[in-house]
Amino acid sequence: MTWAQTIVDALKEHEISLIAYVPDSSIHQVTKIVDKDEYFHLVSATREEEALGIAAGAYATGRNAAVFMQSSGFGNSINAVAGLAIPSRIPIPIFINLRGEHGEFNIAQVTMGRSTRPILDVLGIPHYTLDSEERLEEKVNGALKLCYASREPLALCMTPLLHGGKNV
Amino acid sequence: MFRYSATKRIISNLEREPVVSNLGPTSDELWHASDRDRNFYTYGSMGLCSSIALGMALSCDEKVISLDGDGSILMNLGTVATIGRETPANLIIIVWDNEQWGQTGHQKSHTAFGTDLEMVAKSNGIEKSFTVADEEELDSILLQALNEDGPWFIVAKIEDEPYLSVAPVEPEHTLHRFRQTFVGRPDRVG
Repeated sequence: MTWAQTIVDALKEHEISLIAYVPDSSIHQVTKIVDKDEYFHLVSATREEEALGIAAGAYATGRNAAVFMQSSGFGNSINAVAGLAIPSRIPIPIFINLRGEHGEFNIAQVTMGRSTRPILDVLGIPHYTLDSEERLEEKVNGALKLCYASREPLALCMTPLLHGGKNV
Repeated sequence: MFRYSATKRIISNLEREPVVSNLGPTSDELWHASDRDRNFYTYGSMGLCSSIALGMALSCDEKVISLDGDGSILMNLGTVATIGRETPANLIIIVWDNEQWGQTGHQKSHTAFGTDLEMVAKSNGIEKSFTVADEEELDSILLQALNEDGPWFIVAKIEDEPYLSVAPVEPEHTLHRFRQTFVGRPDRVG
């Protein structure tokens, strides 16, 4: 099973049926599966903080929702996490493609990519790094279970060692 | 038109429809008008009021009302495009437009210089977009919006009025109380 299918299966396991995202070439491996599966409603947002707002609204009406974004886009969405998800205790799994890692070719991606996990730490958001297919199912399912038990946002950071990165 | 009076009138037209309110006086006035368990007050994340309402509209069958503001939606005009793309039939956006950032010192917003939010909505495919200037007009379009498919986008021009006291709400409580009306069972604790 591919890493992307493992993540999709874990989303279903946790009844996460709304996915709000901003496109990314690595995340595309997940969202192309989601888009073809009627279980999910895939919402294309114009900006990452908007995706978090949509996911928050879904959870408030009883539907579990996750967001997918690039690390640059996490930078765009910090106030949605700090001013909405955290004070309201809304559990939103945030899947982040970490740019600025091994094989990065774009200098403009390096700083935000490198800063993502320290920022998550400062925000007090638990995060897990997914950098191989080894024990991936266990890691993702465990993280999602924790997210809903704690009723807090939680981040899953995906590196090129997991998904192969962007080929140029 | 004054927002608090218009808010009370909106609430008098509603039954159990969920309402999301923009941060600050809009949320305070909604609380003073009626502290319903189907009210979702926001106190941060400026700009996301209608995005939250969109997420709700995509996840429930009821009409969902967003009470947004001009300064707020100007921060996140992209969500108008997403609403146009998703076209949720059960979403009603009301934008209180006072052409200013009221709480930060009454600085003029872009709608005071020609930005037409009704046209923004129309150009993003939201055909049922209107601008209203008095309560009777708002009342009449809202009644239509509650009974016909949308999405609806209603720009309500408002005048300055004194602020009411800050609503004593706690975001975590708001979320829990609101969500319980949909899930009908307590979230598991242990």
